[in-house]
Amino acid sequence: MSYARSMKPLFYIILLNAVGAALISISGGARSPEALVLTGAICVVSIICYTVVSFAGFGDPYLFLIISMLGSVGGIMQLRIRTAYGVRQLKWFLLGTACYFLAMLIFLAMRKILPRLTPLYVGVSVALYAATLVFGRTSHGSRNWIVIGGDNGLSIQPSELIRIFFVLTLAAIFTAQPDKNSKKKKKADGDKPFGLRPNAARLLSASAVTAVNLGFLLLQREWGIALLFFATYFFFIYVYGASRGYLLLNAAAAVGVGAVSLKYMGHIQTRVEAWLNPFADASGKGYQITQSLFAIGEGGFVGRGIGEGSVYFIPEVHSDFIFSAICEEMGILGGFAIVMLYFVLTYRGFKIALACTNRFNKAVAFGLSLMLGLQSFIIIGGVTKMIPLTGITLPFISYGGSSMLTTFAAYGILQAISALKEETTDEL
Amino acid sequence: MGEILSKILTYIFVIIIYLFIYAIIRMIYFDIRAMNRKKSGGLADAYLKLINLRRDLDFNIDESYELEDDEVIGRGAKCTLRLPDKYLSVRHCRIYKADGSFFIEDLDSTNGTFLNGDELGDEAVELIDGDKISIGRLNFIFVMPKGVDE
Amino acid sequence: MNSNKKIVVTLVFMCALFFSVFIYLTYFQLFKADDLVSSNYNRRLWEKEESVLRGSILDRGGLVLAESEVENGSQKRVYPYGSLYAHVIGYNTRSYGKTNLELSFNDYLLKTESLTEIIQYGMDMGTENGELKRGCDLITTIDHDLMRTAASAMNGRNGAVVAIVPSTGEVVCLYSGPSFDPNEDELVKNWADLSEDENSPFLPRATKGLYAPGSTFKIAVAAAALENGYDDFTVDDEGSVKIDGRVFRNAGGSEYGEIGLREGFKHSSNVFFSRLGVELGAETLKKAAEDFMITKKIPFDIETSASAWSYGSDMGKTELASVGIGQGKLLTTPLNMAVVAAAVANDGIMMKPYLVQSVVSPNGVSVYEAEPEAFGRVAPAVVTDALGDYMLACVESGTGVNARIRGIDVAGKTGTAQNEREGRDHAWFVGFAPKDDPQIAVAVFQEYSGSSGGAACAPIARKIMQQWLEG
Repeated sequence: MSYARSMKPLFYIILLNAVGAALISISGGARSPEALVLTGAICVVSIICYTVVSFAGFGDPYLFLIISMLGSVGGIMQLRIRTAYGVRQLKWFLLGTACYFLAMLIFLAMRKILPRLTPLYVGVSVALYAATLVFGRTSHGSRNWIVIGGDNGLSIQPSELIRIFFVLTLAAIFTAQPDKNSKKKKKADGDKPFGLRPNAARLLSASAVTAVNLGFLLLQREWGIALLFFATYFFFIYVYGASRGYLLLNAAAAVGVGAVSLKYMGHIQTRVEAWLNPFADASGKGYQITQSLFAIGEGGFVGRGIGEGSVYFIPEVHSDFIFSAICEEMGILGGFAIVMLYFVLTYRGFKIALACTNRFNKAVAFGLSLMLGLQSFIIIGGVTKMIPLTGITLPFISYGGSSMLTTFAAYGILQAISALKEETTDEL
Repeated sequence: MGEILSKILTYIFVIIIYLFIYAIIRMIYFDIRAMNRKKSGGLADAYLKLINLRRDLDFNIDESYELEDDEVIGRGAKCTLRLPDKYLSVRHCRIYKADGSFFIEDLDSTNGTFLNGDELGDEAVELIDGDKISIGRLNFIFVMPKGVDE
Repeated sequence: MNSNKKIVVTLVFMCALFFSVFIYLTYFQLFKADDLVSSNYNRRLWEKEESVLRGSILDRGGLVLAESEVENGSQKRVYPYGSLYAHVIGYNTRSYGKTNLELSFNDYLLKTESLTEIIQYGMDMGTENGELKRGCDLITTIDHDLMRTAASAMNGRNGAVVAIVPSTGEVVCLYSGPSFDPNEDELVKNWADLSEDENSPFLPRATKGLYAPGSTFKIAVAAAALENGYDDFTVDDEGSVKIDGRVFRNAGGSEYGEIGLREGFKHSSNVFFSRLGVELGAETLKKAAEDFMITKKIPFDIETSASAWSYGSDMGKTELASVGIGQGKLLTTPLNMAVVAAAVANDGIMMKPYLVQSVVSPNGVSVYEAEPEAFGRVAPAVVTDALGDYMLACVESGTGVNARIRGIDVAGKTGTAQNEREGRDHAWFVGFAPKDDPQIAVAVFQEYSGSSGGAACAPIARKIMQQWLEG
């Protein structure tokens, strides 16, 4: 683009880290020099990456800025909750930055063959699911962790990585060039009422892939990710030409599965009950959500101050419930700011998809930005009792390495696609 | 004391996030505006056409810029037409429309504004189709296809 | 491209999702959060409460009516006078929450310092030796001696005694019976019995009990008559009158002959006032009730019930007659009737009643000071003067003679209100003294008393007024 880039956003990121560091040190207790060094490192990395992206022509300069901002807020909140979490989170962030550019470079290098790798995506996904089921460890009712190297070893949540493969699979399916065979078939069966529109084969294979994914996820009781996958799939088939009838059929199927699981699976029943009436069993089933709501309510509009809230009453405060802690200490105005950051990030992703001319890249950009936007909505809506709570992480803010690295990689791909777009417009 | 201090710092913390969002949205807004300018070529009354070779410049610039009724050209963020040439002043010159004609006016720029090779003085000068405007390292041709009035 | 259009639709949908979070959270914070955070499951509340030694509640003379003690590291609320103040101060428990003053002044009781003190001395005072910071103390307008007198005079009967200083609105006595022991141990022990007790000990009768005002409402009717030029209205009282087929009788069937407003008021003639009610009409009666706040909720330092006027603009003659004598679909609280008496005593200006005089920080700095505040004028001074005369006559030689105090002019009005229990009328007495320089206004109420206001309530009002004027 054709004008000097403003340095203001960078300045704000640095300022925010400085204020955050001051807050952490006055809130008593945790004064870790390591944490200070790491927040400084975040600032330096933000400056470098922004400059590199802007001047090396890697496309959209906003993505990384917004991610830095979210990561900084997340780092400060983690430090405030527990220094050890914060330090590890900031390290994950730095590592994530590397993932970001790595994913970008890989995507750029392989962009010609990526659309043809559908079987690979499905295969890797299934392998990861199988590995989770065999070696997995159950935590909070979901069997979704693989631990490598004993109790203190590395914990990986494969479903976080599968998110990317899922989007790649759908994108590849929907943008596949019909081969000669299927063309002939189309002509031959053109007048029959079912399955014979040009898109039908794609829709059906997309549905099949999604069904496989959902099946595994439900086995692992990963309801959050299952919901996320279904919503992503649903919008995919909407954008890529499913008829109204097919959309309705899918919605009905989802409702059906939901109803059946509501009836026969205690796990789901509990969640819905806790959503409808958390106070019926506020010390049991409704404990998480009520504690979360108390935190948000006590925070009011402007919050109790970072370090002044009683966030340790909220269960899982460092991961799924981090948004409640943000609302308690920064108020819902602080919460709004976070939601707006996610919105701007999602908007940028959609913008990249819209500007993109390559069909496969467009679908990938659309899918990734849609999925990550939905993910932040699902968990924010969940902890505020807007929608039933399903455990899922808040991108860049929740504690966790798998989530951080894979989300970074996903946005790295978006960055690559935006760079490609610039390339093409310049050529034109 | 700590309670109030951390409250105040928290307010600042949140305000910084909002300022950040504002800055980003502003940048995006300028982006979209620049893109729209590029797209809707030929519809406006007049435009500036770049005559430098783009590869000679070490920064990104478009081939042409449509002129709206009042444009301030310069390096600064508040300019309606921002050009990243470091030889430009923050607010370099202004092109505006009055009575159907376009006028150019220097805004006390350091390196001056040149019209057909002559440096502009304090007064605004009317532009005619085909005039050459030079600012910083950039040379433009002023194009007004429809002509003036009549 | 078609897919671009659908991508934009999806983006709009995402936009709507995020926007709905804003709306939901704002709604949650504005309308839900306050109720929610006061839930017993909110551990923040205990945390906050345990970090501050809850302030004490004192009577107007500085006598401690409620205080907190630390016992084994946790706080305990102690009410030395047991059930006497349960309907004024309320209780403060983890199991059942808070009520009355403990609820409405909770923030003050937990407030550790005033803004001026923060500026003057800086923060974090009084935390040396690991002692808890103290919350602010409430100084109420209640007179403990009057409360004890009221309690002993009511002698366990269900009802209420309210006494107000007419010129300011200070509530010096607010007795409701029956009551219960608000100390947490006792409350936990007796909760089940108390909630099922058919005498409803949890009902604060003075502020939340709703009853027909009976003849005490004639004060408002008489005020309306005087204001609207019915000074000369007379009725030939033959002991009973038939209005639209319904018979209205005087108490005891007495006949008073040709009487005017003054005589009718003094003897509380139902014949006179039912005829007057019909004469005045719906609009005037409603306005009189409105002026005396008998259609509204009295704003007060603790929760009150709204008095009820359940008529539309269209009222039949029998309805008008019923309202004229304070029956019918008309309900009010003892507090409301005390405010009515105080307004008549205060030359027609109704003062807002209040219960908390001031809130004082542990260092003696006042953080809240009640200011006497007028609701407005209920009637011109000429009218209330005349009412005062009628009420004086009522005590001197009418139904209220039992309230007479030697050497002091007492003004008053009795009331006996029929209700759903046959033969168990509610008894009322409202009044003030001394008539020419009123120092105190009272309302005494006995629920299902079965005897007349003059017999059951006037003597109690007399004791209260006498004690206040002597004290």
